Amino acid sequence: MNARAVAAWSAACIFIVLSTTNPVYKATVLAAALTALAAGVGLRRLRGLLAGVLLISSFAVLLNFVSAHLGTTVLYKLPEQIPALGGPYTLEALAFGATGGLTVGAAILAAAPFSLLLASHEVMDALPAPLSRTGAAIAASLNLVPAVAASFVQVTEAQRLRGWRPRGPRSWSEIIVPVVLTSVEGSIQLAESMEARGFGSGPRTAVKPGRLQRSDWLLVGASAAALATFVISQVAGWATQWSAYPTLTLPSIDPRPLAACMLLFVPVLVWRSRN
Amino acid sequence: MAVAQLSHLTYTYPGAAEPALRDVCLEVEEGLTLVAGPSGGGKSTLLRVFNGLIPHFHGGRIAGSAWVDGLDVVATPTRHLARNVGFVFQDPELQTVYNVVDREVAFGLENIGLPPHEMAARVDEAVHAAGVAHLLGRTVRTLSGGERQRVALASALAMRPSLVLLDEPTSQLDPDGAAMVLAAVMSMVGQGRHAIVSEHRLDRLLRMARGLVLVAGGTVNTADPGTWRNQPSPARPSRQAPAGVEAWSLQRVSAGFDGRIVLDTIDLAGRSGEVVALSGPNGGGKTTLLRLIAGGLAPLAGTVERRPGRIAYLPQNPTALLHRPTVRDEVRLTLDRAGESERPEAVLEELGLLSVADRYPRDLSCGERQRTALAAVLGGTPRLVLLDEPTRGMDVAARDALVGFVARLRDRGAAIVLATHDADLRTALADRVVSVGGGKALETAMEAVRA
Repeated sequence: MNARAVAAWSAACIFIVLSTTNPVYKATVLAAALTALAAGVGLRRLRGLLAGVLLISSFAVLLNFVSAHLGTTVLYKLPEQIPALGGPYTLEALAFGATGGLTVGAAILAAAPFSLLLASHEVMDALPAPLSRTGAAIAASLNLVPAVAASFVQVTEAQRLRGWRPRGPRSWSEIIVPVVLTSVEGSIQLAESMEARGFGSGPRTAVKPGRLQRSDWLLVGASAAALATFVISQVAGWATQWSAYPTLTLPSIDPRPLAACMLLFVPVLVWRSRN
Repeated sequence: MAVAQLSHLTYTYPGAAEPALRDVCLEVEEGLTLVAGPSGGGKSTLLRVFNGLIPHFHGGRIAGSAWVDGLDVVATPTRHLARNVGFVFQDPELQTVYNVVDREVAFGLENIGLPPHEMAARVDEAVHAAGVAHLLGRTVRTLSGGERQRVALASALAMRPSLVLLDEPTSQLDPDGAAMVLAAVMSMVGQGRHAIVSEHRLDRLLRMARGLVLVAGGTVNTADPGTWRNQPSPARPSRQAPAGVEAWSLQRVSAGFDGRIVLDTIDLAGRSGEVVALSGPNGGGKTTLLRLIAGGLAPLAGTVERRPGRIAYLPQNPTALLHRPTVRDEVRLTLDRAGESERPEAVLEELGLLSVADRYPRDLSCGERQRTALAAVLGGTPRLVLLDEPTRGMDVAARDALVGFVARLRDRGAAIVLATHDADLRTALADRVVSVGGGKALETAMEAVRA
């Protein structure tokens, strides 16, 4: 799997989902991203991510519902005197919030293959040569993340046995300070190790620059076609926008932009081999 | 012919009042040179001078001269010296940049801008020299500590350095992992490369060594490796009181993580005034067993019981505990919390830390930090003492002090459980040895342990 091909697919997904207000197209992209990830890594590994996406999307829905007192279909009302929360709560605000939730969810899932399907060095290989050094530094930093999480568990456990108990925010300094210091020291040791292996000594090269395989070209082609078709659809007026306000209506669907979104399901075929 | 030369070199860390190295004059000959000395004596500092991490990375004040492979260390940045001098650090987990072995070994080659078509051959040469060719393509996090250290050695060798420095490369490893790394070092030297190795336990390397450098208190002296004798193993302290009642027990306990069973239906118990040593390979379940006894980890099945009283628990990475401004404060915190009347100074003296009582713990050497963490958890009269690799990075004198300290706690009635690879520590202290691995915990006959 080539990170540049994955990037092309992610970019197409994110462009489409951000450039349209039509919930049908957004939902189609979300479904494409979800099924592609499920094909690539399996639903079991996705559980944590899906829970996070659900939480964030729900927050987006809720935020619009309680803050946008627009629309004609009033579900209930709070007294206007209540600051920020007072006013009518409408079906339109709920629907618009749901569209926002779809946008956030689809964008997160479209970007997720970079962490779930690719190793850090594969992502780094996709960077242009001038960013190679930055990429190496990022790859090294990512390697420290599990150590920080393990350090938090270890310090909390050891300090509890030393008599520490959580009593307000200040008491957490006994956990946070050692974890942060240990992480900083780990970073310094890693930096030492990188320096000792010539990091920063001059222009870098990369072992076996990643080449696009046939399946990667298929993915790039499908993503490009999806993107081009959707842009043309928007310019030609086939991909009509949608608004929940002032009165909720059903979004219109055109087969051409819908087909563009369907092209984003191609990874289901390509990524199956990685599962 | 000398591969490295230091002349009247004095180095002081930033903010330090005293030099870490004083007026060092040293010529390092070809082949294998060993560096020995007590914790905090300056071994790691000396090694870092040879590849320029001191002064270029750490800063500080330096006087005198240092030459390696014809290069002036003081005038040549480490990243340029990297082509001539390789470095393998203590902790295998904190020197990995990439998550795949092939890429990790090639990292240095990428940094020096080697053309991509030449890299495969260089990586192949390095992994064969370090004995890790079979690990190509593996994910680094799936490797054992010994395998990781050999990958680090391969990464250093890929640069074709004229000198390789190894800073206590086996201190974090189990005996099998340590043996792997030392075999790779000996093989490398056998192939005509030059190396400087800092180690506490020199036994296996001495017969190949051409030079021996002794570092203590910032001063450096040389000795003949042929006349060097390892210090004897610590004597077994005589028991002042017999073992008492059962202090902790595990009944049909299973434990694990992420759906993986690490310990499967274990039955084990220990008494007050008894020392139980846990042995076995890295990842075998020793730490999990300690955490179960401590109550830090809930069992998946079975029952864990322990008598009431304070628990002293030294985690695997003990320096993670340290957060107070001074060593004395670390000990005082524990004693105050436990309502103990013992003075911090008494604990520090017993563990040989009185001279650094007012130092910031994280400024100390690896071995001194380890002892600080021990002092921080062992002060007072804990009823249950759980120590995870307590002699990691410790010199022989510090280990002997620890043996005495633990024996005193045992005689006061503490139940003690040690997870350790250190055979000398087991022989000196253990009443029982339990081998942990493959999901099981099996008693080993003491005669076999002593043999």
